[in-house]
Amino acid sequence: MLKKRLIPKFLLRDGRLVKYVRFFENERAAGNPVTTAKVYNDYGVDELIVLDIVPSEASRHRVVEIIERMSEEIFMPFTVGGGVKTLDDVNALLRAGADKVSVNSEAVRRPEFLREAARTFGDQCMTVSIDYKKISPNHASVFIDGGREHVALDPIEWARRCEDLHCGEVLLGSIDRDGTMSGYDLEMIHRAANVLSVPLIVSGGCGSLQHAIDALEAGASAVAISSMFLFTDHSPIKLRSHLFSRGLEVRASSSSRN
Amino acid sequence: MSGVAIVDYGINNVRSVRNAVEYCGFDPVVTHDAGAIADASHVILPGVGAFGDAMSNMRARGIDEILELHVREKGKPFLAVCLGMQLLAKTSEEHADDGVLHRGLGWFDADVLRLMPNDQALKIPHMGWNMVAKERNHPILDHIRESNLAFYFVHSFAMRCNAPEDVVGYAQYGQQVTAIIARDNIAATQFHPEKSQDSGIELMSNFLRWNP
Repeated sequence: MLKKRLIPKFLLRDGRLVKYVRFFENERAAGNPVTTAKVYNDYGVDELIVLDIVPSEASRHRVVEIIERMSEEIFMPFTVGGGVKTLDDVNALLRAGADKVSVNSEAVRRPEFLREAARTFGDQCMTVSIDYKKISPNHASVFIDGGREHVALDPIEWARRCEDLHCGEVLLGSIDRDGTMSGYDLEMIHRAANVLSVPLIVSGGCGSLQHAIDALEAGASAVAISSMFLFTDHSPIKLRSHLFSRGLEVRASSSSRN
Repeated sequence: MSGVAIVDYGINNVRSVRNAVEYCGFDPVVTHDAGAIADASHVILPGVGAFGDAMSNMRARGIDEILELHVREKGKPFLAVCLGMQLLAKTSEEHADDGVLHRGLGWFDADVLRLMPNDQALKIPHMGWNMVAKERNHPILDHIRESNLAFYFVHSFAMRCNAPEDVVGYAQYGQQVTAIIARDNIAATQFHPEKSQDSGIELMSNFLRWNP
């Protein structure tokens, strides 16, 4: 049986690890990405997501360097994204050591790009990242460009369309819950998991061990976690043993490995 | 003989494999050169991408013949990973849209078929960490506890082996998934040892010290 995945999510700004609340508020510095990645590697997390949140020509090179350095010592899957617009961008990240490349705004602006990238690099290499926000009590909508631009797309409809365009995985993130540690958007996770056939990584809101359990039980294949790992004493080791003891299908913890 | 040849056949990210070989204390050479492969102590065939393209790139560079000589005839220790493993099969139905199967190297009596888990809830690709249950022991699994045989998989197609004695281990994903095969000096994994943390590094390290 496939294991549920615990995935720290790194946000990079000019090559520094940062964290916000609801995408824009309360910026906090969170350390050196390579060093932090090594610590998480020792904790035995299952994968890493690294997103360049203010992409520019200069930051692109820094991200490539960071991924190259991570891949020298860390042997687990990396998903990398932020400002990916061309096949060359995808190729540069894969060559640097990324296993999957995450595409967000460009997939909305140019859906054909997603199909083209999947055809060139394989479906399994292409993760589509979807950020959404509630715009009324019963209605959520997709936002692109780091949460700045509203587009008239329903997140689940859009995720299904991305699946048709051959994305290998969906990273679904709630902007409202980002950095709040108030729990995942379980209703959305439940709906998305029911209609998608590709793996679903969920992001936004994890602040307790129970939150992760709730999201996985709602149907997520993986939980992306940022604030909780960075700012609380709930380490990946603690989360993993907690999930394991509750009977969730996760890898045995590294502490029980040797 | 020195160094570890990592076979380069075009669109193929070999950095992680190269880094893992270095991490294990060996000297990797990424190459499709016959001389370099002849000189290497061990050969690794990595693999990311589509079967059809991979086979035509290999044939265009003459890699199929180089490997036939040095691996099959001369017995150099050989590890194929993911798509690399699938290329050892006789055929693959990946992107065989017009119904014509792609031909592989045919080193194993096996065919590559689309994953068809018997549970609608199981998603394709089979992506993530899964346990491998051993059918038998093999030197590349030395020192790895059974409870730690969790490896990172990413694939939509898998090998069906017609000769059960070639299979070292299976994973379960709504069907039996051939995870490790081996015969003589040849071993192959459907998962990515270079992405499987401690267990994967241990496996690679075992391979690099293997002298069948």
